[in-house]
Amino acid sequence: MKLAFTLNGALVRVDADPDQRAVDLLRELNALDVKEGCGTGECGACSILVDGVHKLSCLLLAAQLHGRELTTAAGLGSVKNPHPIQKAFAEHGAVQCGFCTPGMTIAASALLAANPDPTRDEVRQGLSGNLCRCTGYVKIVDAVRAAARKGDGGEA
Amino acid sequence: MSPKSRVSAAQRPCPQPSVRADALSKATGAERYALDLAPADCLFAGAFRPGAPSGSSPGIAHGRVRGLDTAAALAEPGVLRVLTAADVPGTNLQGIVHKDQPVLCGEVIRHAGDPVALVLAVSAEALRRGLAALRADIEPLPGVFDPAAALKKGAPLVHAQGHAAPKGGNLLLRAVIEKGDARKALRDAPVVVRGEFSTPAQEHAFLETQCGFAQVLPDGVLDMTVSTQAPFRDRFEIGHALGLDPFRIRVRAPYLGGGFGGKDGATVQCLLALAALKAEGRPVRMAWDREESILAGYKRHAVRLRCELGADSDGTLLAYSCRALYDTGAYAHLGGEVMELGMEHAAGPYRVPHTFVEGRCVYTNNPVAGAFRGFGVAQMSPAFEGLMDALAARLGMDPQALRRKNALRTGDTNSSGVTLTSSAHLAECLDALEAHPLWAGREAWREAAPPFIRRGVGVAAVFNGMGYGRGLPDMAIAKLELTGEGDFLVYSAVADMGQGNAAAFATLAAQELNQQPGAVRLLQPDTERCHPSGSSSAGRTTYTFGNALLKACAAMRDKLLSRAALFLLADDIAALELVPGAVRHKATDRMLPLAVLGRALERDDRVCVAEFLMPVAQDPPDTGRGFVIGFPHLFFAYAAHLARIEVDELTGRVRVCDYVCATDGGRVLDRSCFDQQAQGGAAQGIGFALTEDFSTRQGLILTGDLSTCLMPTALDLPDILSLAVEGDEPTGPRGLKGVGEVGLNGPAPALASALEDATGVRLRDFPLAPERVLAALKQRQGRARRKA
Amino acid sequence: MNVLFPRNMPQLVKALGEPGARILAGGTDLLVRLRAQPDAKLATLVSLDRVAALRGVALEKPGTVLRIGAASTHAELLAHPLVRARLPMLAQALATLGSPPIRNMGTLGGNICTASPAGDTLPPLLVLGAELELASASGTRSLPLADFLLGPGRTALQPGEALTAVRVPLPEPSARQHFEKVGRRDALAVAVVSLAALVRTGGKGAITSASLAWGAVAPGIWRCPEAEAALVGRKLTLSALNSAARIASSRVQPISDVRASADYRRSVTGNLLLRLAAL
Repeated sequence: MKLAFTLNGALVRVDADPDQRAVDLLRELNALDVKEGCGTGECGACSILVDGVHKLSCLLLAAQLHGRELTTAAGLGSVKNPHPIQKAFAEHGAVQCGFCTPGMTIAASALLAANPDPTRDEVRQGLSGNLCRCTGYVKIVDAVRAAARKGDGGEA
Repeated sequence: MSPKSRVSAAQRPCPQPSVRADALSKATGAERYALDLAPADCLFAGAFRPGAPSGSSPGIAHGRVRGLDTAAALAEPGVLRVLTAADVPGTNLQGIVHKDQPVLCGEVIRHAGDPVALVLAVSAEALRRGLAALRADIEPLPGVFDPAAALKKGAPLVHAQGHAAPKGGNLLLRAVIEKGDARKALRDAPVVVRGEFSTPAQEHAFLETQCGFAQVLPDGVLDMTVSTQAPFRDRFEIGHALGLDPFRIRVRAPYLGGGFGGKDGATVQCLLALAALKAEGRPVRMAWDREESILAGYKRHAVRLRCELGADSDGTLLAYSCRALYDTGAYAHLGGEVMELGMEHAAGPYRVPHTFVEGRCVYTNNPVAGAFRGFGVAQMSPAFEGLMDALAARLGMDPQALRRKNALRTGDTNSSGVTLTSSAHLAECLDALEAHPLWAGREAWREAAPPFIRRGVGVAAVFNGMGYGRGLPDMAIAKLELTGEGDFLVYSAVADMGQGNAAAFATLAAQELNQQPGAVRLLQPDTERCHPSGSSSAGRTTYTFGNALLKACAAMRDKLLSRAALFLLADDIAALELVPGAVRHKATDRMLPLAVLGRALERDDRVCVAEFLMPVAQDPPDTGRGFVIGFPHLFFAYAAHLARIEVDELTGRVRVCDYVCATDGGRVLDRSCFDQQAQGGAAQGIGFALTEDFSTRQGLILTGDLSTCLMPTALDLPDILSLAVEGDEPTGPRGLKGVGEVGLNGPAPALASALEDATGVRLRDFPLAPERVLAALKQRQGRARRKA
Repeated sequence: MNVLFPRNMPQLVKALGEPGARILAGGTDLLVRLRAQPDAKLATLVSLDRVAALRGVALEKPGTVLRIGAASTHAELLAHPLVRARLPMLAQALATLGSPPIRNMGTLGGNICTASPAGDTLPPLLVLGAELELASASGTRSLPLADFLLGPGRTALQPGEALTAVRVPLPEPSARQHFEKVGRRDALAVAVVSLAALVRTGGKGAITSASLAWGAVAPGIWRCPEAEAALVGRKLTLSALNSAARIASSRVQPISDVRASADYRRSVTGNLLLRLAAL
């Protein structure tokens, strides 16, 4: 099946099996920042934004991506030009093994888009679909609060 | 480390890095983990584990392999090979200390996750079809699933045959620590409290499952990239199992997506190596999915304890006895060593003159247990702290005063008979909690509980040994290079599973060499380019490698100053100093840029290598019997944890409202990394104590995916506060001790204590599941009613 | 496997006529199940992603019924002012369902058609008296939710038929609505026991009607008319609730599974009623 979608701002045309999982297709397309942690929607590591909505690429089929605008962590920012959320994660010690982090920053960006100044409880609620086994979440919440204070999407 | 180097660093402070060296590449998703590095033309390998429950079988945990039908699998398009035990060239036995675990099982499966075949295919889809088409004929054998039953006469033997058949039936190891005469002391003690305790297995649940890729290169070297905590040791484990020359195996360990002990020892390694041997030079990848990770991965040992604590009427501890039963599952892995460390901690972080600790580590047909943060100790802490609370109640003493009175201090002899020459600041950890407003305000908080909610506050004191212990040299070899461009490259030789040791190495080197943080780059472990430095485990990574690295830095500084002397025409080395990016002549302010030095020097002359061997207890006491390696330890991190909880009377659910850890990890090199370890350890400990509840029935896993194996979400944990109680460990790099493990040991006893405070009931079986809490509440209400 | 994306109702009905076709709504249950047990007979998935007519919330019958498009996501409903204001028990159930991304993907219709005894929206929808709108090539029909749910994973949905809308009668604002889910953790949790209660009181606070439904304690959503009857005529006091709780606990026949034992579920089935006293 011929698919066309936008991946981190770039138009992608690809011929894929319609029932291939989105996470597999994205990783084949070298979006290696999209991680798989469980394959059953329980961990959030494969989180992406689909038309700005936080979804799980392990529970999406390739065909469902057609015509959509996709953002992965690499689409938020880069080492040279990090997104304020990514910068805040690094600066506030929210990163340990880092395997949950791309998904976690996607969840955070969806949260801040809907709620630019969340309380700590609201941050926890917003990130509750993304498991982290390293941090106990404290510094992740710190980071999201810090990014919120600086204004999501604005200059940090 | 020379005293001089510390002075120089203090005189000329370098800017502290504001972020961990690995943080931004991970935060932006740019960091590449093992599987991300796999070439696109990889073949796919996967293990066939016929004991696992499936649509056609309820699952078998112990069975004889009568046959394997590979025809249908081989007929699947894209399936290249189906390998069995007969294809394994070496001993077909893996294991770290005891070699008893087949790479592929030929005759018997001993737990439900045992593999009997390895499928090699051209795509993930072909692999899936190939695995689905395999059929094994497994004759169920009587299994043994309870470690106590496994020790009874006539119990089915887990290792009835083969090279590994142990003389002691299902007993892997019995060991004893005996100091003084505990039996007599308990008989004579004015006060004795006792109890039985149990803790369940625990799943590591690292987000990145076990994975890697491998290829036999044209020169015959087996080149592997694996998510592993022990790349250097892996070579020997693979070599032994597959009959390969370990020095013709290259293992690279990029950053791990979590490890916590579960990637210490072979996971995919031997299977992947076998697949590569049969792949005709093509690269092969293997990644366990989450269900396979839970099925075949290692667990924390489930443990049962029977303990007695005797004290004088003023609360001075007199004696402790403990009988421990560790369930190692189907294979030894590190069972004996895990139990050893637990036994060394059995009597708690206290001065106890008479101790008797007996441990038995037992084979069953349960999933394989192995290393897990808090290595055997997390299972002990609920018991020793449970009995301390019970003793305080019996004596009418403040439990914290009782703990402080008996807390180990430097110079004391611990319960194994080791004189602590190392730093010990447990009493200060307890002080820090008592000074905290969450402790001071506890009465008012408890009184303000809403309807149907009871509130409670609990404290626990814990500790955890650092390093391998005697008998296994805890050694690291650091290599440092001045690059041709004039910056520095640290050859990190201890894997970073997320704890931040690599970043700590960069920080240490930058400080010691007086360079900007960005001037030090890191190479992740690679057995061909780095020197053997042991595993990433036991709270040893930053301590041991850090010490070696500081020596390498000192050598590098001396070397660079002496080489620069020629250029700067300085006839006195002391007139020179390292400054960011250059060597400076102090009197004249003339500079030699390191970039020039880097170009000027031969590569061999730009490299410094230094090693460090962790000190061990001198004149070790003869208190331990039966241990293979690892007894006793000399260095310990200490911590005191405070938990405030709410218990729902209607559901038995426990909610952790507030949590504080005060940790003595020596000096703090990087406060953020220190807090990460305290908070992360406590979070895993809270999961262990409350929700995770790893369960099996007849050896079959009931919690086989992440919807049943319940690690805490962001909503299930409070803002865990971390307090640093800074001591100074004189042998540590910049005075630090390893702090990775101790945090896990606090939550179970602290939460049980808080639960007792809230409900009047002490639970001694973990987890503190709603089921148990509600039953206890009911029982107590019943008792109260009968009394009325 | 083929995946079809109908854009409107006629296309949807036609797509469902394909041999071996099955509806893919949010995918949060179906794709997890297919991963564990691939279905060789499944040839076509019909995605509801792009059928606009299946989305959205509207007031019907001058303000007494809320019509919810079956493919509305849990997150859309949770954010909807009418759902929040007039159906707080449904909002509470939605807020505990899965996690934010699961709520962004999963749909109300999917939760209903999955027909899990632990389905979070089912107890509230049952006590609210929800009616389902079902469409197929032969037209549309309406069915009470209670008649639609036949057992664990079994519904009255016919081959070629789609659930298109859920009609929820709006209780008067004075009615008390309550929902509580007991899971083993606070997100990504499957219900161990859940309770939805709709209680109306008359003059002097006497209960005139009580509608109760429990999740995860029986093969389907469990009702207990005897417990409901025990509340009618009494005030909403701890003593009245205790009587109803005793009845519910004695009648319920839950099973044991990895999440909880039957005994635990039995106790909590009654206990959860007591929470109404604290409202």
